[in-house]
Order: sequence, then structure tokens, then C-alpha cells
Amino acid sequence: MAARRFADRAQPPDLKSNDYVSGAVYHDEGVFQTELDQVLGKVWHFACHESEVSNVGDYRTFQHAKQPLLVIRGEDGSVRCFFNVCSHRGARLLGEPSGTASRLTCFYHLWSYDTEGQCVDIPREEGYAPTGLDKSALGLREVRAETRSGLVFVTLDDSAPPLDDFLGRSLEIFDEVFGDDTVEYEVFHFHRSTVDANWKAWQETIVDLYHEFMHVVLRTTQMTAAPMTERDMRTYPNGHLAIGGLKADYRNYKAYSARDESKAFPGLTAEDARFTPLFPDTTIITRGTVMRIDTVTPIDPHRTIVESRGLGIKGESEADRLMRIRHHNDYWGPFGRNVPEDAFAAEACEKAFGRGAAQYQIIARDEGGQGQDDLMLRAYYQAWTDMTGRPHHNPANE
Amino acid sequence: MSSDQAIREVVYRACTALDEEDFDTFMAQCAPDLDYSVTAYSPEIRKEMTWLDQDYEGMRALLEMVPQHLKRLGTLKRHVSVYFIDRDEGAGTAAVTSSFIVTHTDPDGRSQLFVAGMYYDVVDCAGDQCLLKKRKAHLETRDLGIGSHIPI
Repeated sequence: MAARRFADRAQPPDLKSNDYVSGAVYHDEGVFQTELDQVLGKVWHFACHESEVSNVGDYRTFQHAKQPLLVIRGEDGSVRCFFNVCSHRGARLLGEPSGTASRLTCFYHLWSYDTEGQCVDIPREEGYAPTGLDKSALGLREVRAETRSGLVFVTLDDSAPPLDDFLGRSLEIFDEVFGDDTVEYEVFHFHRSTVDANWKAWQETIVDLYHEFMHVVLRTTQMTAAPMTERDMRTYPNGHLAIGGLKADYRNYKAYSARDESKAFPGLTAEDARFTPLFPDTTIITRGTVMRIDTVTPIDPHRTIVESRGLGIKGESEADRLMRIRHHNDYWGPFGRNVPEDAFAAEACEKAFGRGAAQYQIIARDEGGQGQDDLMLRAYYQAWTDMTGRPHHNPANE
Repeated sequence: MSSDQAIREVVYRACTALDEEDFDTFMAQCAPDLDYSVTAYSPEIRKEMTWLDQDYEGMRALLEMVPQHLKRLGTLKRHVSVYFIDRDEGAGTAAVTSSFIVTHTDPDGRSQLFVAGMYYDVVDCAGDQCLLKKRKAHLETRDLGIGSHIPI
């Protein structure tokens, strides 16, 4: 059969509508705005790990759905989230990505807030007396925050269901990892990358198992370490996903060595690999001895900030920490053998979809929920369709 | 002990070899007890981080695998300024402090800054040839886009 002509690119694949995705999900401005409003503005979003705000007054600033937010641990020990905006003139309140403060003082006119968001000081406050301005009504705007298994989530939706309802059983493959009360995790690695690709293209590199072929480390360590039939893909309400049953034999990649079984996280062997992509923008990954948490923040339809954390065990020996850092860096981080290739793939797809050269992508692999099935991609885009109200095969109603 | 020029040259040759992806020449600049690390400070988690840490054999194995990887298209160019050379005559080594920037040039010929930082090197000057014994590449730039399979 001859190669397809240019005009043919607009022709949908001859597949069921849930087996392909329109390129408009990546580049259509209307679709992007819907995502901000109906998806990112509604879900619980992973903000940070508790270890990043472990002491009273510790804060982290970040953006979610284009909104500037801060998370802070209050005097009462609770972790709260606020818009990182002064109630006075709307200036950004905190400029640093992290810090410790008993009071949050705006640089502009020195209005101050306590760790619970209450406005506690207005310089020369008497100047407002004739207007009746009430300081007690001028606290920071709070955003709902809840914590589960040390993971701090926030939602911009005041009426969103509780975090536990949103997550459901989606973290069950990590029940033992997070369930051991003697083990506390902490973040040892953080890096942020700006990737020239749509934010979902990054998530696809997580939930698309077929792309293992792209990574030499996965071809050598993972694809043959356990039978494809032992792979255990799971889908959950609200679009969350999980895969277990993956193994890796690290000795099969030249620059790696076997991992010490005794250093595996609770409930895992050193060779186990498990992933939980939490819809729509977060992924928790363990590779036996180390954990990674990713979250994506879209800048616009064509650019995305990817934040990656590496986690080890709080209080572990220096030697164990160095081992986990090495294991983390073997795959992940800016100089890892795996992550730069995922970013390469996301950007390569952007070059085609972002310019309309590609119109559809195929997510039709059916291996009965095992192997390299596209089950998780289909589940991801079904959840996306449910939340946006736009069918992923024709989101712009063309 | 070797001249300052010879000490500078091992820094420069190591960089040009990495630029050219001539990994045999790069390893030839390295001492058998090489300790090569890439670090950065994260203001987000308020910690020093290690993003790469390899000994001689680890570095050799890592570089030998590079051709099998899918990697950033185009080329990297390391621009290095050696600031200080502090000799330890007794140890036969020199501590070399350098500033660097690395530019990336894509296949269409567009160049942009990839990363800026400092090299903190220890050069073994005891033998006939100066060799890179230790390098800590400390990065100021932390957003490296899609990253790199080749050490900085």
C-alpha cells in the first residue's frame, strides 16, 4: 500500500473511537482552557511531600493551574495551602521556593499574616479606620489541602470530594511501602525541567508501556526480567492507574550492578518496579530501593514544567542514602539513562502535533491488560473525556 | 611538577573530548582513581544534591553505553575559564577552580545556553602526564530541559 498523502492526515484511523486520540488535545487553545477549568481546577493535585514542610513555619511555593500557591505548616502542626497573594494590593507574597517563617510579610507595604493565614499586622492600620476595613476579614485566601501517606495534595475546588474519595484505592500497590509506621520518607532530590511539549505527552510516557522499546535500560533490565503475563495493570475511579508485576535485573545494563535486597522499601523486592499514575498530573514510581514522584504543570498547550522528586528513608545511614541517590540517578534525574529519553519523546511528538502534521495518535494495543497493553492510555483519556466533556477522539468538535 | 599550562590543558582537553563525544580521549585524561560528580543546590528542598557520581570504571561504562541511547540532537560546547590553580607540592596535585557555561546547538544551527556552573577539579600532576583525579561540576542552572546522557 502506498504511503498516505498529506491530505489523508485529517482522516481518523479506522478504529473504535476510544482507540485513538485527536491531536487537538495537545494544541487546541479552547481545549487547554477547558483543561485548566474542568480538570486541573477540579482535581486534587500533589503539591509536595510532608518532609518539605516538616517544621512549624516551613513553606513551599509552587504553581498549579497557573495559580501561585503556598503550602505552610502552621503553629498547630497542620499543613495548609493559600494563594501566594497579599490581600492588600495583590502582590506575590513569597518569592522563594521554600523557607521558614513565623509570619508571612508582604514586601510591598509590610502587611503580615500568621501561619494560619490570618492577617495579623497592617502598618499604620489607623489610616483605614474611616473606611471600616476589618483586618480579620483580610486573611489569605485558603485552598483546601489534605495529606495522605506523607503526600500533600491541594485542590482549587471548594466543593471537591475529600482527598480519600478522590484517591480511592489507587495507592494500594504501595500499601506496604507507605504502611510501615517505622519508615518515614523524605525528599533528597528535586529538579524542575521545562519541556517543550503538551503536559499530557509527559504523562503518556509514564502510562505507555509499549515505549519500553525506546529505552535501552528498559530493554536490557526490564522487558525480559519477568514474563509480560505477570504485569498487573489496574484502573480506578477518577482516572487513577497502577501497574505492578514489573521486575528489573539491573545487572543486564553495563553501567549498573545488582541491588542489595535488604535495602528494598517495605513490601518490595529490590527488583520490583511499581507505578501509580494519579490522574491527571502526578506519578509515583518505585524501583525497589528508591522512589520518584513526578508532577506536571502546564505553562501553555506547548510547554510544560515537570517536577521530579527522589525519596529515601529519613534517618538512614549516609551509605544507604548515597546508594539510593545512585539508584535514583541511574534511571532518573537530568543525567539519568531514562528520563531524558522520555522528554525527548514528548518533545518529538510536540513537533508533529503542535504544528498539525500529526492529527491522531493510536492507543489501540490490546494484550488483555498485560504486557504492553494500551489499557492505561485508554483509561487516562476516558477520564480526561469524562472531566472535560470533550471526546478525546474529537475534542474540538471538528 | 607540571606547569600551570599543562594543568590547564587537562581541564580543556577533558572538555573538548566530551564536546566531541570522543570518550576514549576523555578517559585518557582521567586518573584511575577518578571521582566525577555533578551537583546542584535545590532551594526547593534546601539540600545539596548529587545528580551524577561515578568512579573511573563507572564513568567508562556509562560513556560506552551512550551510543545506544536516544539522546538530545545537536552538540554541546563547554566554555571554560580557569580561575585558580592551587598546588599541593607534597601531594603532587593541584586544585583547579574554573567557571563554565555549556551551550547547546541544535541541528538547525541555533545555539542557546544549556547550563552554567563551576568546576572544582583536582589534577594529579605527579606523573609524566597531568590527569583529572576529581571533578565536582556544581551547576547553577537547574532546569536542564530534557537533560543529557553525557556528563557536564
